[in-house]
Amino acid sequence: MSSAVQFYIATDLVLFGVDLIACWALNLQLRTGVLNFAFIIFQAAGAYTAAILTLGPSSAHGNIQSYIGGMTLPFPLPWVAACACGAAIAVPLGLIVLPRLRGSYEALAFLVMSLIATQLAEALQGVANGPTGLALIPQPLAGVVHLSPLAYTWFYVGLTGAVCVGVYWFVARVTGSPLGRKLRAIHDNEAAAEALGKNVTWARLTVFVAGGALAALSGAVLVGFIGAWSPSSWRYPETFVLATAVIVGGWGNNLGVLIGTAAVPVGFFEITRFFPTFGPPGFIDAVQWMAIGLLILLFLWFRPDGILPEGRHRWRRGRPASAAAPGAPG
Amino acid sequence: MQLVPEAIVFGLVSACVLAIATVGFSLQVGVTNVLNFAYGSTMTVCAFVAYLCNRAGVPIWLAVCVAGGFGAIFSLLLNRGVFRPFDRHGTGVHSAIYVSIGLGLILQYAVDGIWGPDFYVYRQDIGNPVHILGVVVTTTQLVIVGIALGALLATHLLLARTRLGTAMRATAANRQLARTCGIDTDAVADAAWMLSGVLCGVAGVVLAITIFAFTFELGDQFIIVIFAAAVLGGLGQPYGAMLGAVVIGVTSEVAAALIQPEFKEVVAFAILVAVLVIRPQGILGEFVGRRGMVR
Repeated sequence: MSSAVQFYIATDLVLFGVDLIACWALNLQLRTGVLNFAFIIFQAAGAYTAAILTLGPSSAHGNIQSYIGGMTLPFPLPWVAACACGAAIAVPLGLIVLPRLRGSYEALAFLVMSLIATQLAEALQGVANGPTGLALIPQPLAGVVHLSPLAYTWFYVGLTGAVCVGVYWFVARVTGSPLGRKLRAIHDNEAAAEALGKNVTWARLTVFVAGGALAALSGAVLVGFIGAWSPSSWRYPETFVLATAVIVGGWGNNLGVLIGTAAVPVGFFEITRFFPTFGPPGFIDAVQWMAIGLLILLFLWFRPDGILPEGRHRWRRGRPASAAAPGAPG
Repeated sequence: MQLVPEAIVFGLVSACVLAIATVGFSLQVGVTNVLNFAYGSTMTVCAFVAYLCNRAGVPIWLAVCVAGGFGAIFSLLLNRGVFRPFDRHGTGVHSAIYVSIGLGLILQYAVDGIWGPDFYVYRQDIGNPVHILGVVVTTTQLVIVGIALGALLATHLLLARTRLGTAMRATAANRQLARTCGIDTDAVADAAWMLSGVLCGVAGVVLAITIFAFTFELGDQFIIVIFAAAVLGGLGQPYGAMLGAVVIGVTSEVAAALIQPEFKEVVAFAILVAVLVIRPQGILGEFVGRRGMVR
């Protein structure tokens, strides 16, 4: 295989991994009925945190970009800090919205927050270099492993894959745990869950914070690979693309989400890249977005539970079957 | 400081545009309980319909009326062709949000596919400057304020004085009970979609006139401001929507003048977040609490 093709495949695999982490995180929230339309700002927060903690002080690069608190931390620490940052901003945002807002109000409030975040990031020039964003972000462990660019790309595929496995384990544990059953109950009938003594607000806040941390992790992995991050990378429609992947794959099933991610953000946008270009410039982009919209409508009409629906839950005496095989569909 | 009176006047003009759009959006959400993300795209479609008329020689203010009529028919078709079938199909309120997102993407990028990413400008007079209270405004801006006041007054009279308006308010308050009382709630929903479509079409063209040059992203850039004004006033509350539009419109322009233009909407949205903490149902929100939107 030529190295160009290898580069292409490896890059797609990394992007797939990043989207997969993000979709699992988003699904964790959606399956509890938390309509987090501000999801993308958590990915952004993680990306900025990881970037600033690997860039080092701004003076080290001749002050060509301005940001606050630059540091050069050894590899896993920027990613850990990104998770912490995602969780930390989820707490105040969650406390504003989750205890009292529901449905349409909740969706609109999150969407407005997403726009506030974008505008703040563009207006506050000194925090993360304003609308231009950050660039020249060093790749994690590049100074330690000493690989050729192609070998490093494959190394990064491995790194992303390891993170995905960890995130899958975590998400499967949560959905298979007593908390997961509580979340499913809240999604199906919130009033009933509350009447049975479940603390609905606490459960919703828990998944909101956990999802925020994972979203931030996906941002950290992404920024370590592409090396640049700006407000144009995380406009609010990006959340809709991830949500489409969840709808297509099946919101009740973590493996379904995997299929949806492979189908929508990766497969869809990558395959159409090979189509012969026709029409005026930007026409293909327009067709892609229209197809995303059509995909949402078709799936909600014909397969509202996605490609892989939620399996039937069988309960064993004492403990659920899913606890023995975490996350197994059924 | 000299900028502040001008900012307030300019803010009131943009609040008028915002008010037309927000009343249309909020009214339809109130009556039909469908959160319509495609509203912004519908505005864009109407603005381009007006553009076609305008290029064919129709004066711009007549094109506003044409866009309003088109908006009504288009919204009715969206309800009959998409939203109502999905509702009958058993799609829940949450999934209906995604239906409208999908529809919005299709409409917006259909406009993109047809007209491309270029900027479009109506054939119009820029208007003559008029001095009011020491502030310079154009006649175009005055006409826009007049259109807004007329549209809002007409909406008010419709809601307060006619049988249809009473039926709409009854359906918004409690759909089942309204149906039990013999109100044809499907017909009322159709009427709400059409009224919302008229306001949507007018708002789309008026917005395009105020910002002068517009693209296929016209409505998409404006929809979040509409959401903010609607939530601020209380979702589903037409009068709250007017109030929310004035608050958001004026504070954004004053903030732009006093702090810096980049903070334009940040300040207005920060007010929204503060209101959500103190009074989550919005300033005038009342009976929405019973429909599971707010606890």
